[in-house]
Amino acid sequence: MIDSQWIFTLAVLSGAVGMWLLLPRGGRGGWPLGVPLMAIALGLGASQLLRLEGMESPQRWVAEGVFFMLAGVTVVSAVATVTLRNPIYCAIWFGLSLLGTAGLFLFAGAQFLAVATVVVYAGAILVTFLFVLMLAHPRGRAVYDRSSWEALVSAATGVVMIGILSMTVADVLTLHGEQGGALVTAAEAAGPRSDGVLADAHVAHFGAELFGRHLIAVEVAGTLLLVALVGAAVIVAQTKPEQQ
Amino acid sequence: MNPEIALLHNYLIVGAVLFGLGAVGFLSRRNMIVMFLCAEMMLQGVSLSLVAFSRFHNDFGGQMLVVFIIAVAACEAAIALALVLMLVRRVGKLDVAVWQSLREDNQPEFEEEKVPEEPSEKPEAWPSLARAGLTAEVSPEKTDYRRKP
Repeated sequence: MIDSQWIFTLAVLSGAVGMWLLLPRGGRGGWPLGVPLMAIALGLGASQLLRLEGMESPQRWVAEGVFFMLAGVTVVSAVATVTLRNPIYCAIWFGLSLLGTAGLFLFAGAQFLAVATVVVYAGAILVTFLFVLMLAHPRGRAVYDRSSWEALVSAATGVVMIGILSMTVADVLTLHGEQGGALVTAAEAAGPRSDGVLADAHVAHFGAELFGRHLIAVEVAGTLLLVALVGAAVIVAQTKPEQQ
Repeated sequence: MNPEIALLHNYLIVGAVLFGLGAVGFLSRRNMIVMFLCAEMMLQGVSLSLVAFSRFHNDFGGQMLVVFIIAVAACEAAIALALVLMLVRRVGKLDVAVWQSLREDNQPEFEEEKVPEEPSEKPEAWPSLARAGLTAEVSPEKTDYRRKP
């Protein structure tokens, strides 16, 4: 068996060169070589996520398949968000990445957060981005959309950071995995439960925790939203008298 | 490996990938809106890790933090977009390289990279079709009343 450190290193190298090729570099076509390199990097990374010894039943295969589809959609959309030239396409791919993240939240049992991500993030924040983009009319043909700052160094930095984080997580959790002992054991997570994060009445418990233990934080967040709204309106309104 | 630990491991790696890709985009793109989108993507990576830990430890704390991340991200988006709108009104472009005067003093001069011109869109030659079909028979007094006196 090839050591997982080498697979992560190969994935980081391939991913760094692929990201550098895919980032906008001023008209030089990086797609033919960049896309296969990124695919190789993502495939090597995905091979580290697949655990073949836990696959007893078809349900496990289906569950792993669903997870890989959601994670694949999220990561591929993230790569597209970062590398496309036209900023409107970037925003749309970011919306797809948000949907993938919402699916991953749902897969982990966080039902309220999945819906909140779709409604608030994809439905409000992303739409606000699109409004501002429509006001600025970008079509991706300007110089600043087709070139980037220091593409090689930033691609190398980001992908090496991903590699370091992944290798640390893999090391620590492989160590723990041999000793066993998750706080939510697999047997508990599987069946219907009445308390905890994976309870049947998840949203009720979520609301009880949010408005019980974190009530003051909720009120402060509401005040923050009000202040931000007023602040944004004041910032935009202040420029108008100068133009008249 | 315990399936719960395997799930935590997978989620943490996907969260790290989202965070790192957001970092790459934030460092390298020049369009202000795309930079901000990449910052939001970093927040999504962190939210994913928090949800994974919340499930692993059977504690709602991680999910509470994600709720507040969403609220603060909304505030941040509102104010950042208001500021971006103001900046665009001054110079007319979404380029962050226009605001070079805000850098530190001892940086080398910024040179605009020479980018080959992209061919502009030529107006397409739409096909023209001969008029076909019957014209309607309209009696003259029906069209007369439309003429203004």
